[in-house]
Amino acid sequence: MALVHKLLNGTYILSKGLKPSVAACPFLSTRSADYCSSSLQKPVATPGKASTQRTSAGGLQGDQREVALDIPSPEEKPEVSFDKAIKDEIKEHFRRLKDEIVNHWIGPEGRPLQEIILEQARVVWQFRGKEDLDKWIVTSDKTIGGKSEVFLKMGKNNQSALLYGTLSSAAPQDGENSQSGYCAMISRIPRGAFERKKSYDWSQFNTLYLRVRGDGRPWMVNIREDTDIIQKNNQMYSYFMFTRGGPYWQEVKIPFSKFFFSNQGRIRDAQFQLLLDKISSIGFTLADKVDGPFFLEIDFIGVFADPAHTEEFAYENSPVLNPRLFK
Amino acid sequence: MSWAQAIMLARGLSRGWRGICGAALTGAPFSQVPSQVPRGLHCSVATHSSDSSLVPRPPEPLRQPAKPLSPHEELFRPAPDGARNKASFVRAVQNFGQHNVHKRGHVDFIYLALRKMRDYGVEKDLAVYNLLLDVFPKEVFRPRNVFQKIFVHYPRQQECGLAVLEQMENHGVMPNKETEFLLVQIFGRKSYPMLKFVRMKLWFSRFKNINPFPVPRDLPKDPVDLAMLGLRHIEPDLSARVTVYQQMASSKDSTGTADPTEQHIVGIQSPDQQAALARHNPARPLFVEGPFSLWLRDKCVYYHILRADLVPPEEREVEEIPEEWNLYYPIQLDLKYGRGGWDDYEFDIDEVEEGPVFAMCMAGAHDQATLAKWIQGLQETNPALAQIPVIFRLTGSTGELLASSSGLEEPSPPPPQEQEEEEDHTQRQQRGQS
Repeated sequence: MALVHKLLNGTYILSKGLKPSVAACPFLSTRSADYCSSSLQKPVATPGKASTQRTSAGGLQGDQREVALDIPSPEEKPEVSFDKAIKDEIKEHFRRLKDEIVNHWIGPEGRPLQEIILEQARVVWQFRGKEDLDKWIVTSDKTIGGKSEVFLKMGKNNQSALLYGTLSSAAPQDGENSQSGYCAMISRIPRGAFERKKSYDWSQFNTLYLRVRGDGRPWMVNIREDTDIIQKNNQMYSYFMFTRGGPYWQEVKIPFSKFFFSNQGRIRDAQFQLLLDKISSIGFTLADKVDGPFFLEIDFIGVFADPAHTEEFAYENSPVLNPRLFK
Repeated sequence: MSWAQAIMLARGLSRGWRGICGAALTGAPFSQVPSQVPRGLHCSVATHSSDSSLVPRPPEPLRQPAKPLSPHEELFRPAPDGARNKASFVRAVQNFGQHNVHKRGHVDFIYLALRKMRDYGVEKDLAVYNLLLDVFPKEVFRPRNVFQKIFVHYPRQQECGLAVLEQMENHGVMPNKETEFLLVQIFGRKSYPMLKFVRMKLWFSRFKNINPFPVPRDLPKDPVDLAMLGLRHIEPDLSARVTVYQQMASSKDSTGTADPTEQHIVGIQSPDQQAALARHNPARPLFVEGPFSLWLRDKCVYYHILRADLVPPEEREVEEIPEEWNLYYPIQLDLKYGRGGWDDYEFDIDEVEEGPVFAMCMAGAHDQATLAKWIQGLQETNPALAQIPVIFRLTGSTGELLASSSGLEEPSPPPPQEQEEEEDHTQRQQRGQS
């Protein structure tokens, strides 16, 4: 099932690459059949090439070479070969599966067992290159029609991530939303071979550690548990991260016991502790109703075990709000 | 045929009959041309009379339909003196109570008042919210028996009460005992507004004081005071000294933005930074960078920093403190009590290292002339600064914000030539002065 899903994904990527010349698609498929019979070369087409092919019906091979010479930038050449893409995907996933099996043989997460057991501080996300940014998603209220903007890029020295943008709390005029104004950065759910969902196990740690530099705005840190239950999709655990502002880096330590439980953005009456054995993602939200530019630089995000912190959960339940819990 | 169908049919018949009668009675006789041509949605009257349909007309300004006045809008008419403050808002609410003894339409009035609160600047005033809740009639909406308790009793009124509490929540207003008393009197204990009240009481008190970098609720209006507050806020060293290098000119000249002598300059420097600046190698230039934004609640202020590039590791000198000289840490202890040999609390990562910051300032203008005056003022307390070249790396606009990081790996883009020349001039001037 997962494989089928991925194959569909692959075709989607292919069609995305072809988007500028959708009209050329059927044209191209016939052409590729032609090629397969005549030569071993796989058809490679760019949007610009498609138009030339359409104009000149004969002399295909020569045309193709010329065009290939004409195009100076080889870095963005979308692959159109369907079979090759599928083969590559399958190979890639089997390679990942092999890695996983080998890593499992060595120990959990591919590291020796004693190292994992004795570990007291772990860096989970760091920002040292462009590829680290691919593990994150940025969203803003543009998805509901708002006007906020948010961007994520590497900092000037290429050693930290810079999240910046403009917050605007102008509500969209759609008759549905009366409030607006948020920007968020969410980590992608880790995926294993064949797009299996994976999760983080932080059960031996008790504190979240962030090294950030902000501009004095308060942020919200949201942690989601990994779950397959649809009703739990909107549930998350949140706490606040206050930035000092100024040119100095700041170390933020948030014990996991402080995270409170919310569903669909509303704090639940019945509070439960965040269970750390299956964490799917972490996110940062800015929604302080102050219009204007903002930025947040993140060096790295880690978890560590603070031996001085013994609190299990910071919020007691109230008998007024939850009489059933006290029966 | 069931009775329901019969009723439907009867209704349809009667409606049709009424329609026929209405047309016959009110419509004009068929022989006459009807006075008003029934128009479609998209055609206008003008097209019939003139040839304007051929001429492409400029698009008419989109006319907003005249907003119908809300039921009690007249109570919020601007007063003769035009003042919109708490007193006039309270007067409007009291007028409603006096004119309407039966409190007719009080829900509409409260919704209207909630919308108007921001205009009057009372959206963070607890007394005003209590006054609004006081508009509700008392003891009417309280459930009397068990069935009323099960189903939502007077839902529209309860929703209105919830809207008042929601607006309080959005503006961070903590309800008090009077609010509770009013809610109990109006809706009773078992009601949704009361539930919301309990939740607010619970969570507001939990999160009231969690900000480790508190900012006062009412920020000072004076820019110099605000700058001092902001600089104290971002400087972690409590022994740092704030200096006002230049006061803001009191005269109201319209050209004040251009004249560097008109703007306020406030700087901050800690003794450690002063010592580090004295030790700085004069061959390495200093940089004035900025402006960077800092948010104090809902106000944005901009600051500049004086910094150097990261010292390469071969030039770093490790300072050895003789043990008996240091009063604060008399003996150097390498033992870690309570930690096993396996314990390792360090993250396995190279932290981002950046050059030292020597001073920070906030000024009324973000141009080079103003900041050069700040550097001149710094020279009085830091004589070493006279020997060190200072380069201004200012981003053009203040609105656009860039990263406040500059590392060793990637050299920053060279500043424009004229700025360099100007800078040389400034340096010469500074050297000449010192």
